[in-house]
Amino acid sequence: MTRNVAIIGTSAIPVGRHQTADDAQQQTLEHEIMTRLVVDAVRDAGVDKKDIQSLVFTLPRPYTRQKYFHTFLMGQLRLACKGNVMEVMGNGMTAALAFDQACNDILLGRSDVSLALGINMESAVSATEHMMSSMRTTGDVDFHTSAGFTPIAWYAMDGMRYMHEHGATREHLAAVAVKNRHHASLNPLAQYRKPITLEEVVGQRPIVEPLGLYDVPPRGDGAACLVLATEEIAKSLGKPYALVRGRGFCHDGTHQISDVPNDMIAFTSAQQAAADAYAQAGIGPADIDLAELYAPCTIVEILVSEAIGLVPKGQGGRAALEGETSLGGRIPISTSGGLTSRGHPAYVTSLYNYVELAEQLRGRAGERQVADARFGIATGELGNYNAALIHVLEAKQ
Amino acid sequence: MTLSQLTIEAQRAYPPRESEFTHTFWSALREGRWLTTRCKSCERKTFPPKLVCPHCWATDVEWVELGAQGTLYSWTRIHAAPAVFASEAPYACGIVDLDEGIRLACRLVEAEQSPLVVGQRMEMVVLQYQDGPIFAARRCA
Repeated sequence: MTRNVAIIGTSAIPVGRHQTADDAQQQTLEHEIMTRLVVDAVRDAGVDKKDIQSLVFTLPRPYTRQKYFHTFLMGQLRLACKGNVMEVMGNGMTAALAFDQACNDILLGRSDVSLALGINMESAVSATEHMMSSMRTTGDVDFHTSAGFTPIAWYAMDGMRYMHEHGATREHLAAVAVKNRHHASLNPLAQYRKPITLEEVVGQRPIVEPLGLYDVPPRGDGAACLVLATEEIAKSLGKPYALVRGRGFCHDGTHQISDVPNDMIAFTSAQQAAADAYAQAGIGPADIDLAELYAPCTIVEILVSEAIGLVPKGQGGRAALEGETSLGGRIPISTSGGLTSRGHPAYVTSLYNYVELAEQLRGRAGERQVADARFGIATGELGNYNAALIHVLEAKQ
Repeated sequence: MTLSQLTIEAQRAYPPRESEFTHTFWSALREGRWLTTRCKSCERKTFPPKLVCPHCWATDVEWVELGAQGTLYSWTRIHAAPAVFASEAPYACGIVDLDEGIRLACRLVEAEQSPLVVGQRMEMVVLQYQDGPIFAARRCA
């Protein structure tokens, strides 16, 4: 019999500045946050400790003092299991990979209940210092980093190109930030919740032109835990669950930039991965009720929404400006508030996206609830969407 | 191709490493010469230069000259910079499509009277820092 995977429980701390400076008298300790989250998520799911047979952790940032954090936490919780225990890493795709691997453990029959979980603490390290490391993750460290490129500089160039090709304006990009802040105002897990206006977004200081402060992600910390189980177990619990219906992955064979000129802003890996995920689910983009996209900057949300077929090419900014992608609109995108307002603790960001989809598809999103939400889609990425990992989830009663 | 060279009275903020292989590229750039590798088997050029042809995986590559002219595919001006680049900020970086069909990313040299515009003609130049070169592009005169 084919096995299916469902999200049956979630927990997360609000995204924010939780990390303490090295010289602070009282420290925030990662494992104290994480042990509580595991207990909360497993209680939410309604399963027992002994049911959990695999755990896939996101790699902590190098700033986390406790090394081998995953196996340390097994000891803190006296969690014995025979499926799998591991940490995964894939830059921005890290948390999407943790989720995917936890699904695999269930699909392979290694476990009936798996956890995908992790913590990302970095906000006490200044942006200029943090960038000394992050600048080495994009492009060629000798041929590109030496010129001064930073990770979001590549998205800025997407933005400049998009404006050139489609006549999009700063306001089109800014509309995404305004819309997502409104969504965040309704989300207790969001880092920034005070509504903002188009004028305020456009008026912010430039960070990487054409993107200003509110077009790029804030620094923040976060931690979350997802409980996954076979559909059989999910059904037996007698509560709504979110079933994984489709999965697609594509790496386009380039890293950040293709030296063979291509359409850089088409995000072809996202196109391909989405096509595979839709096909597996037996649906098309028109069937999607909401999307939680890995989109660190306003322009990225526009490009991904176009690449996965939610919005026509060149229309992503206009759609945001006209409310099509807002709660209550045709296709609500980033109902959590997205990376710019819900927050972007990078290695666990996608965990928050799955938490939001699970909340929505289980009908627990409160003021953010998308009416009759049935299908949701989540994306993860590497580089400039050189790779995409996409999941389609369905609400089940 | 010999490129125009601009002297910069400073050290490079984040100097590239050199290997036995890439030494050919960087030492040529020190003299203003602009090179990359071409596969002897499928005859395709690639940039940055590579020991193994990424297209056909042949391991027999040769050093050839690259053209200096191209068009600006996109660009940005970086205001929030990593610690080692902070003193240079804001600075412009961009993507240039060379006329011979190679796309690359590099630092851009801005001129006060001629703002950067996507699609404009560009020429590659060498920034000769005190400790070594960096390749860059600027608007064609």
